[in-house]
Amino acid sequence: MRAELHLARRYLIGLGRRTHVATVSAISLLSLALGVLALVVTLSLLDGFQSTIKRGILAQSAHARIEPARGRVLHDPAELVSILHRELPDVGIVEIVQGTCLVRGIGDAVPAHVEGRSDMEAPAIDSVLAARIGAGAGERINVISPRRRLTPMGPVPVHAVVRVNRVAPRQPGVDGGVLLLPLAQAQRLLWGHKVVEALELRTFSDPWRLAGTVRSVLAGHADQLRIKGVRELHHSLLLALSLERIMIFFAVGLMLVIAALNLLCNVAMVAAEKRTDLAVLAGLGLGPRALRRLFVALGLGIGVLGAALGAAGGTLLAVVLDRTKALPLPRGIFIVDAVPFRVDPLMVLTVTGLALALSAVASWLPARLVARRDPAEGLRYE
Amino acid sequence: MSEGAPIVVLEGVSKGYGEGANRVEVLRDLDLEVHRGELLAVVGPSGVGKSTLLHLMGLLDRPDAGRIILGDRDVSTLDQEARARARNREIGFVFQYHYLLDELNAVDNVALPLRIAGRRTEAARGRARELLERVGLADRGHHFPDQLSGGEQQRVAVARALAMEPPLLLADEPTGNLDRNNAEKLFSLVGELHLLEGLTSVIVTHNEEMAGRCDRVFRLAPVGDESRDV
Ligand SMILES: Nc1ncnc2c1ncn2[C@@H]1O[C@H](COP(=O)(O)OP(=O)(O)OP(=O)(O)O)[C@@H](O)[C@H]1O
Ligand SMILES: [Mg+2]
Repeated sequence: MRAELHLARRYLIGLGRRTHVATVSAISLLSLALGVLALVVTLSLLDGFQSTIKRGILAQSAHARIEPARGRVLHDPAELVSILHRELPDVGIVEIVQGTCLVRGIGDAVPAHVEGRSDMEAPAIDSVLAARIGAGAGERINVISPRRRLTPMGPVPVHAVVRVNRVAPRQPGVDGGVLLLPLAQAQRLLWGHKVVEALELRTFSDPWRLAGTVRSVLAGHADQLRIKGVRELHHSLLLALSLERIMIFFAVGLMLVIAALNLLCNVAMVAAEKRTDLAVLAGLGLGPRALRRLFVALGLGIGVLGAALGAAGGTLLAVVLDRTKALPLPRGIFIVDAVPFRVDPLMVLTVTGLALALSAVASWLPARLVARRDPAEGLRYE
Repeated sequence: MSEGAPIVVLEGVSKGYGEGANRVEVLRDLDLEVHRGELLAVVGPSGVGKSTLLHLMGLLDRPDAGRIILGDRDVSTLDQEARARARNREIGFVFQYHYLLDELNAVDNVALPLRIAGRRTEAARGRARELLERVGLADRGHHFPDQLSGGEQQRVAVARALAMEPPLLLADEPTGNLDRNNAEKLFSLVGELHLLEGLTSVIVTHNEEMAGRCDRVFRLAPVGDESRDV
């Protein structure tokens, strides 16, 4: 091994009997490892939550939605449905009408979003509406449409008495207060005849690309339709998620920067403490390049060990916490019952690479200063 | 006895420290030739610039003016990397303090210049053991500097200085920290190796008796006075 690398190793590991530099190195190593660990665990946690949220979105809401480009109703929904069935046999299609009605349970009437869906067999309300009107499964509620009908007593609002079949959990990303009805019932209530306002599509293959496929299948009707995919349907939520990732990465990444600054201080301290030794080494013929290598090897040695320790520790911690469900979440509020962690190997590599790059910079700066000195300066006074 | 071609030549060398009002002129327009094979003593009052002179000769520092010729080339213009290589191959240093590395045992300390030169670890250690035997420390190789006495530390330093078989040995008060007995032993050792290895040696010393045993004495006088060659 080259002399300077041998020395770097000695400074790094110490010998049990000469511990000062080794202690200093150990502290730098530990802080770097902690920084990497914190970053890996935090990003895994974030990734765990975010992929749970995304999975929830994909599981519970449409993967694409077809709406009329102008007006409220689709011109020829039956034809669209038949084209889609023919071209994309594995895509599920739901016909939709929607509007706002007053809903009354035992107390006052409250406004609710009413959605008629061809996949609904019996009426359901979400938990928010259930709480507002004080009604639950099995109870009857009164739904009053904005539409009026002429009677001998003048125009009266169309209304229906509906028996709530079940109370559904609130959907992620949607304001609460929703009444879901079978399509025909909603059509009667809101329009009085059979219309379709939108089609919702779901697929088992790649939800993120469904909208694109649908656009090409329905290219002939492009000017009459507006087709939204997952990204458009959940635009603000997804934007918030990626913003959150970036902010957290920078905030927790600062820990790594601080760890690197600590490394810089410690390498500079070693340089100051070993000033005489370094002058002696230079005197014995160790050139400036080799002196720089000595320090970069010292810093990178700490960096490699620290980053490896932190990455391994962080990955292990995240996986164990995920598998054992060690951090439970209150039931019903989240889709999952324990804090989820998802370790992305690419993320771990990125964090490790960042830690290494920072330690290289942190050791390069003092190394440059050391290599510039004339050996006589360090040998003058003992 | 000052025969043989010069191995070191200083021509009009000047060196000072500090800036402006704090400026100290230590050496001014100094000429000196060290001949191949001679044992030269450098003496002079404290602070006169003996260490400075030795540092300049050993390429540990650069003169403000003048030329230094080592062997047959002008070394005052070499870059840092080349100066380091020249120190490694051509010059052995012994200082008043041993300057051994605490982290390394005696063998590894002696092997350092060889390792710096790129020799393989085991070959370097083998040679280091031989050298330790030469200076009478064959059985102390695995000891660390703080497990050795002052005299022993200084002998390890001498072994290290000679590891690369340099033609030139520079010693700055090598016995300055030793008691009379040890000082005497070390000086004899250096004298012996000087002859055995065919070295050219320059020794800074305060000890007139030791200086008297050298081939030639160079007396350095403060700037303003004249430096005399005796
Ligand atoms: N780096 C420096 N900065 C400023 N002054 C210095 C420096 N190095 C040496 N000097 C001054 O230069 C002068 C010569 O120093 P030098 O060490 O060469 O003397 P010396 O003859 O070896 O003395 P001693 O016998 O005490 O070792 C002294 O006055 C010293 O204070
Ligand atoms: Mg001196």
